[in-house]
Amino acid sequence: MLKVRDDRRRLSRRIEAARVGIGAVFALLATAYWYIQISRGEYYFTLSENNRLRSVKVTAPRGYVLDRKGAILVENEPGYNLQLYRREARDLPSAIDLASNVLQLPREQVQGRVKRGLRDPEFLPIAVAENLSIEEVAAIEARAPEHPEFAITISPRRLYKRGVSAAHALGYLSEVSPEQIAKAGETTYRVGDWVGQKGIEESYEKLLSGTHGERQVIVDSHGREIAEEGRIDARPGENLFLTLDLDLQQVAEDFFKDKVGSCVALDPRTGEILVLVSSPSYDPNWFTRRVTRKEWDGLLGDPHHPLQNRAIQNQFSPGSVFKVFEAYGALAKGMVNPDEKVFCPGYATFYGRTFKCHKKEGHGWVGLRDAIKVSCDVYFYNLGRRLGIDRIAEIAAGFGFGEPTGVDLAYEKNGNVPSEEWARTKRGARWYPSETISVAIGQGPVLVTPMQVARGLSGLIEGGRLPTPHLFYASQDPATGEKLRYRPEFKQGLALDADKAQIVKDGMWAVMNEPGGTAFGQHLTVVAAGGKTGTVQVVGRETSENLPKAKRIEDHAWFAGFAPVNDPQIVVVVFVENGGHGSSAAAPLAHAIFEKRFGKTPEEPSANGLVRASLPAGDPR
Amino acid sequence: MISRVLPVPRRLDLVVLSSAIALSILGILFVASTTSGGRLAGLAGRQALWVAIGIAGMVAATLFDYRTLLKFSLGLYLASLVPLLYLLLFGERIANVRSWIRIGGFQFQPAELAKLATTLLVAYLFENEDDARLKAGTFVKLAAIVGTPFLLTFLQPDLGLALTFLPIAAVGLFFGGLPWRGWVAILLIFAAVAGGGWFFLKDYQKQRIGTFLNPDADQLGAGYQVRQSKIAVGSGGFSGKGFGAGTQSQLRFLPVRHADFILAVIAEEWGFLGVILVLSLFAALVLRSLTLATVARDRGGVFLILALSGILFFSVVINASMMIGLLPITGIPLPLVSYGGSSVATTFTGIGLILGVEYRRFANA
Repeated sequence: MLKVRDDRRRLSRRIEAARVGIGAVFALLATAYWYIQISRGEYYFTLSENNRLRSVKVTAPRGYVLDRKGAILVENEPGYNLQLYRREARDLPSAIDLASNVLQLPREQVQGRVKRGLRDPEFLPIAVAENLSIEEVAAIEARAPEHPEFAITISPRRLYKRGVSAAHALGYLSEVSPEQIAKAGETTYRVGDWVGQKGIEESYEKLLSGTHGERQVIVDSHGREIAEEGRIDARPGENLFLTLDLDLQQVAEDFFKDKVGSCVALDPRTGEILVLVSSPSYDPNWFTRRVTRKEWDGLLGDPHHPLQNRAIQNQFSPGSVFKVFEAYGALAKGMVNPDEKVFCPGYATFYGRTFKCHKKEGHGWVGLRDAIKVSCDVYFYNLGRRLGIDRIAEIAAGFGFGEPTGVDLAYEKNGNVPSEEWARTKRGARWYPSETISVAIGQGPVLVTPMQVARGLSGLIEGGRLPTPHLFYASQDPATGEKLRYRPEFKQGLALDADKAQIVKDGMWAVMNEPGGTAFGQHLTVVAAGGKTGTVQVVGRETSENLPKAKRIEDHAWFAGFAPVNDPQIVVVVFVENGGHGSSAAAPLAHAIFEKRFGKTPEEPSANGLVRASLPAGDPR
Repeated sequence: MISRVLPVPRRLDLVVLSSAIALSILGILFVASTTSGGRLAGLAGRQALWVAIGIAGMVAATLFDYRTLLKFSLGLYLASLVPLLYLLLFGERIANVRSWIRIGGFQFQPAELAKLATTLLVAYLFENEDDARLKAGTFVKLAAIVGTPFLLTFLQPDLGLALTFLPIAAVGLFFGGLPWRGWVAILLIFAAVAGGGWFFLKDYQKQRIGTFLNPDADQLGAGYQVRQSKIAVGSGGFSGKGFGAGTQSQLRFLPVRHADFILAVIAEEWGFLGVILVLSLFAALVLRSLTLATVARDRGGVFLILALSGILFFSVVINASMMIGLLPITGIPLPLVSYGGSSVATTFTGIGLILGVEYRRFANA
């Protein structure tokens, strides 16, 4: 039997109400999905595409750097980097411990990098450290079972094969700064790129770096590549051959092992830089390896500033080296008769002040040639007074002083060439004629860099034609092997008849080859070399002589020479800070370089003046 | 009535049956889509096996007289609490939660069974009530019946699973005739308990709620799931990226994509159309069940259907809202579709009970 139905009217009404409510909720849900999927669909679609499509930079291998003979100076080697995938990490603090232990890095440093990485999306790996050693890589990989979060990636690392050698010519790499990115435009660099700093790494950054490629890859949520959608290949950087002659470079570097200063050797005919040394040096590899705070502080705190390129950035008075330019200029301007003689009693008085010659007893009667040979101050005091400061300034400018040499290195200094105009406008105190007397022997406010002296001397022996110094010898496309040679550039300075110029050159020859010459001790038998010594007083002569010997501050030593005298192929400029006298502190390096270049001096039977015999046919006089 | 002279008709409701089976087939398909290859391969087969077990349970529940079940519901209920207690005391933690029991190679959540038993007991409770208004005694009984398994599950701690007990109570209160003042009181009590309960929530639960309130504050931690799920849903657009072509799900940006987030996968691969399909099937299932409830032979049957469809409705709404950030992520699966054996098996059994009520609509006791 059917039961009599109970009264369900209220229950039925509630069910009807529930039915309406449920229908409304489903409709609301559908509307919400409509909003997300249709109204905002495109927005989320873009997000999902960005989630999976990633553009990965393909770093172009940076070009090698070689010397003129093809010996490799700079190449690339695989560098190992440590990355951390956060989502794989079971225990982040212990992962940080492991990394800091294995890499011997302070825990805070590792933690700092991981913390910074935490701001990035979870699937992006965190870069923990770069440039791991093989041992460190092995140690990390041995722990892979407990620490699956670590991954090792390989990227090319710059290797400066000769360490500190020629560091200032080469420069180094460092991570591109935000300012550099902004300056070069977004497309050129990206965060994390390495960019050349100083040296040819900076000058030829574009050539060396090549063009980065790009790969479009599909990744999963761990950032792991699943497939490649497209790629633009990287264009490798070009190889760069430098003008450096490593044999000569080595000689100069050996010389400077325990000295502070610089050396530049040029081919006066082309401006090719054969030697470029600045001492103390630094190891460019420091910058591409992990530099510890201590190393960095040591480098920056070194009172000798190893990062400074002294060859182009040190500005000092040229001392007596200046005399040869002055002599040449006076001849060119017809202000002096080379046979005219001046009597040197060991001092001279101008404008009521006494100026001493470096030789107390005096040189007696000296003409232009011998004044260069013995570096007679009195002769040049008189010549300087005759020329006047503005004519001296013109002459100096004619040899490229006071302006950058145009060398293919950044951060070159201009030096200074004083004139009345300069005194008035730049210094703000009028020029005193007595200052001209000091400038006449290369002291006072005239300032030059070793590179400027090398270029000026090249001009002096090449009839006034100043070559632009350069390290670029040739570039080579690594794909085709095609080479592009450098075409020398010149600037015409002060022209002078060859026979008159010969007088100056002969004076310089005598400096090294005649008894009484200031660098007679440095004469060579294999080649006829010429040169000029210079000594820059660090403190006044009187002050220095009154100081106790131990406390005396040594003078800076200059030497500027060339060889062979009648067919100059090389100009060498040496500057030794606090080295003492030019003849004893600087000239020996020029001597060693000439010897390396032209052959060793045979054992001499005696030092009795037979040197003249070594002068080849075609006596410079 | 006419039925008296005819053989007693046995009625199988095809709307409820077919939408339930369609949903479970969708589930198997999309579990297969997201887990092909990799360490999850094979889950689709497992899911199919569970669906088969569920259908067997459904058939059994349909054929077995629910009136007998109602009679023994107190015993069933008490028995179902035992494994919950056991879990709480000795349970093995899976994903930091003690809600699973291993039987052979399978894991089972006893709370799912307790849900069915609780439904039966509540239906039994209301069998002899009139529909004027809820009596105080009934209210207390209802609170005790639902509150006990809720608390035991909450302490496991599995907030999501515990919450699915609440619609049983809600059904009892609403259809039992709780006056509006009663609703106000309950809401106030809830607010107080929620405020106080905040201190008892586990850190990850607090974090989830915080993330829900401000998902952008933590895009990479707990906000990550919501964000990725919204991207998956939104990027599906109108017609989706195609079956098996969802980048969000295939490339594993989506967490537990085959389980709780299966709807996001469907939304990504089949788009708005897929979502409408799923929601329509559930709407059909729930609304048709309500129709069956109105014509059920007895009050026990009415409340059994109402409580069962209430759970179903509640789970669907919560899960679908989670996917698009309308509600915090609580770990409530999409019934019949999400991967998960106990959920699929018990949901099918519940549907069997609904079908059983209709099956016996004109039968004699």
